Amino acid sequence: MQTLDVISVNLWQILISLINLVLLFLIIKKFLYKPVRKVLKQRQDEIDNLYNEANTANASAQENMKLWDEKIKSAKSEADSIISDAAMKADLRKNDIISEAKQTAEGIIRQAENDAELERRKAEAEIKTEIVDVSAALAKKILEREININDHKEMIDSFVNNLGDEQ
Amino acid sequence: MKSEKSNSFRIIDYLLILMMVLPIVVLITIKLLTNVPSDGINVSGARIYFEIPLPIQNLLITESQINSWMVMISITGLCLYLTHGIDVKARNKRQHLAEWIVEKTDNLVKGNMGEYFIAFSPFIGAILGLSAFSSLICLFGLYSPTSDINVVGGWAILTFILITYYKSKCGPWVYIKSFGDPVALLAPLNIISEVATPISMAFRHYGNVLSGSVISVLLAAGLQGLSSMVLGWLPGVLGDIPFLQIGIPAVLSIYFDVFSGCLQAFIFAMLTMLYVSGAFPMEEYFKRKKNKQTKAMSN
Repeated sequence: MQTLDVISVNLWQILISLINLVLLFLIIKKFLYKPVRKVLKQRQDEIDNLYNEANTANASAQENMKLWDEKIKSAKSEADSIISDAAMKADLRKNDIISEAKQTAEGIIRQAENDAELERRKAEAEIKTEIVDVSAALAKKILEREININDHKEMIDSFVNNLGDEQ
Repeated sequence: MKSEKSNSFRIIDYLLILMMVLPIVVLITIKLLTNVPSDGINVSGARIYFEIPLPIQNLLITESQINSWMVMISITGLCLYLTHGIDVKARNKRQHLAEWIVEKTDNLVKGNMGEYFIAFSPFIGAILGLSAFSSLICLFGLYSPTSDINVVGGWAILTFILITYYKSKCGPWVYIKSFGDPVALLAPLNIISEVATPISMAFRHYGNVLSGSVISVLLAAGLQGLSSMVLGWLPGVLGDIPFLQIGIPAVLSIYFDVFSGCLQAFIFAMLTMLYVSGAFPMEEYFKRKKNKQTKAMSN
């Protein structure tokens, strides 16, 4: 079989190899670069979308957090005011109750004192009449003579009265 | 995921692998069938399969043409295989490889030529692939198309066309004026250097690959001679076996075939990028474009 010389220029072969390179360029472009670029672009788009979604989600989460923080703060202050209100009311009520109780107690004590005074007066009067009767009977027996009770009664009464006063 | 692949997917996969492997197998078979065993050193060009009569010169269909077509079919099969079943989410090895190739060539083009030339990255990928695989098929004992000056010359002429196209993008007058730069006296030298660019590129690539194969042939012959000299005293058939030919050519072939082939492909691609991007007067071009736009606006 014939062979070429080591160096032999053939225009048509040069042209063929030139066309070969162009052809391979087109083949590689169509079958390798186009699909790979498409996939890379799709992936980039997907990544971008994911990032956007993540960013929006993050922003909304931050907003929500702020909102809830504010809500919690206002709730806290509300609770504080409610508690202090209640404490104040309770204080007032306590004072009312205490003063009322004091008044009632004082009334009761006064009543009791009055009752005791009346009782005492009554008892004093009873005792006085008793003493008067007893002393009259005693004097009647001791003297054993007719005494005009009416004459002495006055004297004894005054004596007994003085006696009670001296007590 | 892998078990869920349908049968038709697998069949297409096998067909694509076949498309990659079959051309090489066919070439090896042709080579084995038409091989003429020859003694001694025989350095020659590509074998001529048949001739087509054409004006100026007859077209000779040689090993280099057939081999480069087969390599192109293989590369096409590889591309189809890598992008078969490509998906946004499926992250298998072949998709990684496909994306790696695309991103690497994109970065290479961006780094050497700039963002404007990003459309060049498939072209650079084609040069790298065709040149590297053409050089590497000599590992199968096949004739490398890149050791034929016509093949590499065609690529260099294409590069020259691109250089000239980008140089004359601002109009023919700027192109002609660029030869008188920096002094009009240097115009002949500039023209020579312009013409020398594709020639030097073609000869660099072709010469490196060819010299590698020549050295391989010389080395094989030399080792055979050395073997018979040194080990010829061994009795019987042992003396005829060229023991020194075992291993040593393989180690050197890693340099001359694999390393040199890939390096030359890279150098060719690199030079193409640098020459083409260097030929394009970008600032001038954009200035003119802007002027035109403002003129059109004012009209």
